Amino acid sequence: MSLRFYTIAYLVFLYAPIMLLPIFAFNDATIIAFPLSGFTTDWFGELMTTKALHDAVGNSLFIALTTAALSTCLGMCAARAGAMPHFRFKAGIMGFVMLPLVLPEIIVAVSLLVVAVQILGLGLSNWTIIAAHTLICTPFSIAILNGAFQNLDPSLEEAALDLGESRWSAFWSVIFPLVMPGVISSFLIAFTISLDEFIIAFFLTGANPTMPVYIWSLLRFPASLPVVMALGTILVALSILLLTIAEILRRRGIAKAGGKDTGGFL
Amino acid sequence: MKPLIELTGVQKFYGDYHALRDIDLTINEGEFFSLLGPSGCGKTTLLRTIAGFEGVSEGSVMIGGKDMDGVSANLRPTNMVFQSYAIFPHLTVAENVAFGLRKRKDIAKSDRPAMVEDALKMVGLAGYGDRAAHALSGGQRQRVALARALILKPKVLLLDEPLSALDKKMREQMQVELIRLQRHVGITFILVTHDQEEALVMSDRIAVMFEGEIGQLDDPETLYRRPKSKRVAEFIGKMNFLPAEVTSASDVIALDVAGLGKCEVPQEQAPGGATVGSGVVGIRPESLGILFEGETTDRQLVDAVVDEVVYYGDMTYYDVRIAGVEEPITISMKNMIGRPVLDKDDQTQVIWDARALVVMP
Repeated sequence: MSLRFYTIAYLVFLYAPIMLLPIFAFNDATIIAFPLSGFTTDWFGELMTTKALHDAVGNSLFIALTTAALSTCLGMCAARAGAMPHFRFKAGIMGFVMLPLVLPEIIVAVSLLVVAVQILGLGLSNWTIIAAHTLICTPFSIAILNGAFQNLDPSLEEAALDLGESRWSAFWSVIFPLVMPGVISSFLIAFTISLDEFIIAFFLTGANPTMPVYIWSLLRFPASLPVVMALGTILVALSILLLTIAEILRRRGIAKAGGKDTGGFL
Repeated sequence: MKPLIELTGVQKFYGDYHALRDIDLTINEGEFFSLLGPSGCGKTTLLRTIAGFEGVSEGSVMIGGKDMDGVSANLRPTNMVFQSYAIFPHLTVAENVAFGLRKRKDIAKSDRPAMVEDALKMVGLAGYGDRAAHALSGGQRQRVALARALILKPKVLLLDEPLSALDKKMREQMQVELIRLQRHVGITFILVTHDQEEALVMSDRIAVMFEGEIGQLDDPETLYRRPKSKRVAEFIGKMNFLPAEVTSASDVIALDVAGLGKCEVPQEQAPGGATVGSGVVGIRPESLGILFEGETTDRQLVDAVVDEVVYYGDMTYYDVRIAGVEEPITISMKNMIGRPVLDKDDQTQVIWDARALVVMP
């Protein structure tokens, strides 16, 4: 009984603040406080007309899509190698590859800033953010794709070779379709992580801010808070949607390859 | 008979592990050949070197007169049925069967559906083309795997423990179907199995492997009746072993067998060779007999005491003790009309015949 109470309290604590977002996004007042004064969709309307916001969203989408593509490709390479039976220092290499998962983002952000500006002499741009986001997203991609690749029967690839396919065409005709749900799942999770990542983007952003950085800048003006709430509502809805799709695809992929579910992120 | 596959001095090392030790082997066209042995004996490794999934460390693999060195699996005239069947789960049955045709430029696209249907009919799956592959039963997957390999008309079909995942009844049914299929298509089949009965039933010739070496290569009957060594005899069927003293090994071999006494056998009964000194003779349980009351025999007899009785319905297995032999000896007897089943500790007489003995080093 007490455990159930604890669980409910935990969930309320976790999700209540998020529930406030849509409530105030539709509230007809600039002050974020109860009681609510009325229903409006003005704040969403204002989102539609703010050019700086559109630029920021455009930047973020570009960064997130590129990051998702890059980290999924890298993740596929690593997971494919990880599924091979034997190569030297496999455990050690896989450990180091997964390390960025637990590194504090602020450390990554500062060190990348130093590397990009001081050592490489690069200007800050969307590409510096993409590089950094790829670094932190790749471990997630590897974790997801590892599951997809390790659930595959190694005989499947051999069967394709045996039936006349080359290694390259065997990969695309047999392995890739079977790990496809994992690939989509990895793409969506990397996309989500990159889209709302703030610390690294804040350090490495050039002249054009990403969406989280833009939102942060809006917070200095209390009048624009409801607009931030409206934007937040859209983001939360989008994140939940993407993560749900990713998880459904991951599970379907495991069922398709006939493997056992060893647990993903959800 | 034309040789199709020739292995000469094949060695395979995995680091320090010696998986194949100097294998010389010729497999003929149209033959049903089995590689039989306990797990870890190298039989699957040998199959995979023929398929091209494993390279050889030394020696050569020739198929149809061509050296396969450096020829990858997709370019060899072999196809394989995998132990897990390796049916592509994202494709339909027909797409699975047609998979190998995609790289065959010599077969027109318009001919393919008919070929697929023929192949499915051949394995008894006519009309299953549109089914999803992941929804099939074990026996059906096996048939799809066969159709998928045979549609390419390979010179050799390699079967890696294809029946081990099936239940007993299904396994026996598939054994018969595989024999029928092999006669029908006339392709050389190489079967890897650890099941001696399966190998005996299906094969024209069997190579028994131990620790990376071929212990004996013979047709099933010779293998069963004239095993060259104790470990081959132990692996194939049941056999009693009695210590024996070889007193002369010229044209005929003179023996003094523990518990049975002196006898002489021709050289054929020592397929592994015989030398003067101490050795072992083997005798199958069905080559021995029990003299029941009222029956007579012109063969030799020895007194025995029943130690253990195992009743199988059609047969009864007796473990008996005879003077001068430490281990009990197993005898199998058909349960014929009028024959009693003996009890433990009954006194009886064992019938034996020197023609059934196999002398082993």
